Amino acid sequence: MASLLQSQKSMPTSKLKFPLNLMHFFNDARHFQIVYLGSFVLFGLVFLSWHEDWFKFILFAVTALVIQYFGQAMTQPKRGAWKSALITSLGLCLLCKTNTYETAILAAVFAIGSKFVLRYNGKHIFNPVNMGIIASMYLTNDAWISPGQWGSHIVLIFLLGALGFLVLRKVDRLDASLTFLLVFGGLQFVRSVLYLGWSIDVYLHQMASGTLLLFTFFMITDPMTTPNHRTARIIWVSLISITSFALSNYMYVYAAPILVLFFASPLTPVLDTIWQSEKFDWKFSKSFVELKK
Amino acid sequence: MKTTKKIILTTLSVFLLQTNAFSFCGFYVSKADTKLFNKASQVILVRDGNKNVVTMSNDFYGDVQDFAMVVPVPTILERDDIQVVDRYIFDKLDTYSGPRLVEYYDQNPCYMYDQYFGIRKFSEAATMSSMDMIEDEEEIKNYGVTIEAQYTVGEYDILLLSAIESSGLKTWLRQNGYQIPSDAEEVLDPYIKSDMKFFVVKVNLDEQLNSGYDYLRPIQISYESNRFMLPIRLGMANADEAQDLIIYAFTKDGRVETTNYRTTKIPSDKNIPTFVQDNFGQFYADAFDKAYKRNGRNTVFLEYSWDLSSSNYVKCDPCATTPPTYAELRDAGVFWTKPNNSNGWGGANYNGELFITRLHVKYDREHFPQDLFFQSTPNKEHFQGRYIMNHPVQGHLDCDQASSYYQMVLDRRENELDELAYLTGWKMDEYDYYVDTYAKKLERSRKDKKFNTGSIIPLNKVFQDSKIKSIVLSSLALLLMTSVYFGSVRRMN
Repeated sequence: MASLLQSQKSMPTSKLKFPLNLMHFFNDARHFQIVYLGSFVLFGLVFLSWHEDWFKFILFAVTALVIQYFGQAMTQPKRGAWKSALITSLGLCLLCKTNTYETAILAAVFAIGSKFVLRYNGKHIFNPVNMGIIASMYLTNDAWISPGQWGSHIVLIFLLGALGFLVLRKVDRLDASLTFLLVFGGLQFVRSVLYLGWSIDVYLHQMASGTLLLFTFFMITDPMTTPNHRTARIIWVSLISITSFALSNYMYVYAAPILVLFFASPLTPVLDTIWQSEKFDWKFSKSFVELKK
Repeated sequence: MKTTKKIILTTLSVFLLQTNAFSFCGFYVSKADTKLFNKASQVILVRDGNKNVVTMSNDFYGDVQDFAMVVPVPTILERDDIQVVDRYIFDKLDTYSGPRLVEYYDQNPCYMYDQYFGIRKFSEAATMSSMDMIEDEEEIKNYGVTIEAQYTVGEYDILLLSAIESSGLKTWLRQNGYQIPSDAEEVLDPYIKSDMKFFVVKVNLDEQLNSGYDYLRPIQISYESNRFMLPIRLGMANADEAQDLIIYAFTKDGRVETTNYRTTKIPSDKNIPTFVQDNFGQFYADAFDKAYKRNGRNTVFLEYSWDLSSSNYVKCDPCATTPPTYAELRDAGVFWTKPNNSNGWGGANYNGELFITRLHVKYDREHFPQDLFFQSTPNKEHFQGRYIMNHPVQGHLDCDQASSYYQMVLDRRENELDELAYLTGWKMDEYDYYVDTYAKKLERSRKDKKFNTGSIIPLNKVFQDSKIKSIVLSSLALLLMTSVYFGSVRRMN
């Protein structure tokens, strides 16, 4: 009887506890990113016929975690770096297409390996997903990006944007995304609608690409590979936006932003030297719970 | 009153104005007894580096003097860049790459036979678009239109126009007797500003008489451009319905896909009932239509992709016809293969890398606001639209295995009907006989012999669907990864 009373008493507490636990869980922005990217992988598996690729997805994840393990064994172990490796492999699932398992492994090896090998001033130079894609595309000629793979599901695009927005609030890189949307989207608007005279739905269709939004909200905002100082970041992103716009509109390079990001990455250390600011640390990312205290 | 020419708006091209039953590229799929307008435009795209060769089929059936067409092209074409080719090449490629029905025969459970199979191939079908006619006789003097070049090629008179702005071009066309839809202007402007030229074609009646052909032949153009695209917007200017377009793309490296629309595979490798054989064209047309609607009407479908390189011996499997030869590829515009002497079913009489992709697009203004942009990927995976019929053993079976065999056929046929209903949306009520026959046979054989049946676990049926299987497996894998991950995080903390 006593135990029954006790359990009845404890029930309301446990109900209250659940959302708080969730808040605590999302204190680390990487958890949020894992949920965010993971849900898009699931969406693709169920609705976009990616189910044929499921084994490649496992390979991305396993390889990334293994390389991360060895990388850490040889360098200074960092708390929770596993999470970054998992995020990287989810990013590869979403963006990197290939037909062979070797290439999938290679992409993940390059993605995570570059974090340990190509470093400057305590930061890795290249965004791991970006590195994995570019390396597998150009080293094997067996990988590619499918910019059209998302279709133009408006609801999906909206969610992608809205959730991305939340992630960015946590990692404090919203300025990068907004700059890209403003500069790239603005230039595209001027060219497509104002200059060429296409109707607005053509412009929206151009911008409603899942790959473009994933780039905007996930890749270009990676706190570890973007300049630390806000001014530097805005200059850096503007440069990427303008180059991507030119490449995609005049040279018809469809994966332009991803290519451009790769070549713009070595600029980050230079900009970091000119505008100095504190390096990002996942542990100090903003917390939802803090606001409520 | 001056005579007016009518311009055909097709896929690639432009304003079309005639209500008679025709479209510019197209082919009939079903037999003459069908009332369906089973027509689709067809285009062959060949690309290597920046060099493009585009062939547009032409099945205009009206009075040839009414034929005209306008296609936006990225450069001013030279005389040698324009050719007229024979229409057979489209039929050849269609037969080679079209969706196919494959049949298998069951082994007699009472005897041991070698299994064999036969192949039957039917073309697929699509609906036709209707085009409106627009009358306008307005005359304006100042056009800003330049005739950059003027040729007679085969039975066609060809003009290459450049324009400064759309209203000038519109006026010029009208002045010269071409009727164009009034809302074409909004579509012309972006092309003019993108520095596109206009390839205007009409029939030269004398040449047409001399040519000896009683139909208009496809036109093939080649040009250098970094744009790998098809301008479909002009063709929509006056079309109310969605239009079908079949694209045969040849590249060196691999599968071609659209970069601004999702490219997905048409449902394939499905078991369907044997009675579909008599009506395969209709089956495929309905299955395509269902897939098109299920995918939001804004998806490009892959119908075939195959490595045709000389180094790849198997150039189709099963083959609906012989794979394209060197001469046929030349006619299709493939310019990099080199002839050699070997000849045979699988061995090509050419050398070189080659990959074919067949895409099927059903587009309208609402769901395809942008032109089609393509990329060639290194993806060499083979794919074909393939549907399978399984023929049961005929005659009376007199052995212990008969009941379990009939049970298997019965289950299979139920699945085939479910599959057919899902793929096409056809009502299955009238096909009850298809399973009833075997239900009766099963009953009779059970009476004859001892009760002997194979049990079917429902889970097996669910897992026959590879998609469900993969989803379940991948979800399990994700779950496993998540728990391993959190396990390790906890340990580290």
